[in-house]
Amino acid sequence: MTASSSSVVLKNLAKSFGAVDIIKGIDLVIEPGEFCVFVGPSGCGKSTLLRLISGLEEATSGTIEIAGRVVTDAEPSERGIAMVFQSYALYPHLTVRQNIGFGLSLAKRPKAEIEAKVQAAASVLQLGPLLDRKPKALSGGQRQRVAIGRAMVRDPAVFLLDEPLSNLDAALRAQMRIELTDLHKKLGATMIYVTHDQVEAMTMADKIVVLNAGRIEQVGSPMELYNHPVSPFVAGFIGSPKMNLITGPAAAALGCTTYGIRPEHLDLSTTEGQWQGRIRHVERLGAESVLYLQTEAMGELVIRLPGQDCPAPGSIAFVTPRAGRSFRF
Amino acid sequence: MSTSFSRARRRNMGIAATAVAFVVFILPFLFTFLMAVKTKKEAALFLFSWPSEWHFWANLTEVIKARNYMLLLAYFNSTVITVAAVAGLVVFGAMVGYVLQRRPSGWNRVIYAGVLMGLMVPPAVVPTIWVLQGLGLFKTIHGMVLIQVAYGLAFSVLLYRSFIGTIPRDLDEAAIIDGAKPLAIFFKVILPLLKPVTVTLIVVQSIAIFNDFTNPLYYLPGKDNVTVQLTLFNFQSQFQSQFNLLFMNILLVTIPPLLVFIFFNRQIVAGMTAGAVKG
Repeated sequence: MTASSSSVVLKNLAKSFGAVDIIKGIDLVIEPGEFCVFVGPSGCGKSTLLRLISGLEEATSGTIEIAGRVVTDAEPSERGIAMVFQSYALYPHLTVRQNIGFGLSLAKRPKAEIEAKVQAAASVLQLGPLLDRKPKALSGGQRQRVAIGRAMVRDPAVFLLDEPLSNLDAALRAQMRIELTDLHKKLGATMIYVTHDQVEAMTMADKIVVLNAGRIEQVGSPMELYNHPVSPFVAGFIGSPKMNLITGPAAAALGCTTYGIRPEHLDLSTTEGQWQGRIRHVERLGAESVLYLQTEAMGELVIRLPGQDCPAPGSIAFVTPRAGRSFRF
Repeated sequence: MSTSFSRARRRNMGIAATAVAFVVFILPFLFTFLMAVKTKKEAALFLFSWPSEWHFWANLTEVIKARNYMLLLAYFNSTVITVAAVAGLVVFGAMVGYVLQRRPSGWNRVIYAGVLMGLMVPPAVVPTIWVLQGLGLFKTIHGMVLIQVAYGLAFSVLLYRSFIGTIPRDLDEAAIIDGAKPLAIFFKVILPLLKPVTVTLIVVQSIAIFNDFTNPLYYLPGKDNVTVQLTLFNFQSQFQSQFNLLFMNILLVTIPPLLVFIFFNRQIVAGMTAGAVKG
């Protein structure tokens, strides 16, 4: 099964609900075959942006091009897109086979063709033995795969995925991340993926679009965003634990309004360093430890250390930012 | 000690409940049956007694043959009215409920008020007959079907609207993406999911419409338009009543709704509680 991959171009796209502007003028180019992730906090408009591309919402202004064709006013089914919903949205009264073939049977395609396409999708997604079950007899991960199968049989130019992993437990989520990345390689299709989870964004994306309050904050590859965030918002959003962002007089003393340093770029010492503080709390994760250091000069700093050896809570420690790793905004 | 007490108590309560149910539901039925098999003279005594002679077949054939097989015509008419009206109630009730629930519009408030009014305002007979006469629907079976649909629509719209609220909107949107037009979304996705409500509605409304006495009496006069409940008049008059035949008629008229009820019984309970808990 090969889906023809296509580009998606958004020009000055905007959407308002009444007087509330949700999307405030977005320009974006998504290359053919790219795995593009929209990421941002709740309410930043990322799901609305996806729904605009899908056609479930009408744009207030601006244009949407898919595969070089302007589809701003086209019906969702005519845009060459397929969508996977957060809730999976499987039809409860239909079997897996009928769920996957629903769109084709609506289009009155011959039975043999529907069956062939359903089988092809089922074999890619390992759904073969489940085809005659109803959705309620499936596990979360299986439902997820059925939802993806339903998208695949449409041979879409673009896959739209709206937080597809957020209903799964942590272990399954990690597994599905890898499966989705594999699937993307296998199909070679353009995929647009919405999530609020920066780990998903970092691990899966070719291109991350960070959204904030209806605007694009930054677009780039995961490592570009990690290494060169353009704003404190992006810097704080990408990376876990989150970057230390210091504002106020402490930042002014360093010649900026916001001073940022990642927890992994702070070196800890018990004898000397740039900032002195008392360790408030330690989280030991086994492979690494996260320390919360209360300093006078910089307020609370989060420090990430490899391994399990670190000073006890309550002791005095010093930290030094690694040269060339700090950000001044 | 306490368990044996509560067990005895539970048993006594069970017996009491069974006895009450027997008196309320089974005794009248038994009385009807016994009256139906008696002779005319014995039935006129109105006693709850064992019949001295069994006239089951004789009474049955006499009731069916009465007035040139009027009962069979009545069965036919009542079945046509019931099936058509219930089909209309299901389709239109679900459609109106769907649109009211899904589409945000200023008119929804007005329409919803209209629906509630349909529940609250009692129907007026004479103006309804004027309207029917004006439309040429008076004394017609399809006129009667429309009347039954109109009387039952408010209830079915309310029932469907609240149930459709429990169906996630994502399903509609998934169907839109799959290329479904509004009618296809309704008939292929939404309507099949409404089955619990639909079954409840079919049972409640078909029994009500089949057993309806007053509405056919007002809106469907004429001896070709007779419905089952009106055949009861055949054996009752000012000077002479044939109670054995009357009760046989009652027995025959009771059977179809009883069958519907027994057949759908389990689904009704499921429909009443549907949407109460997420399944």
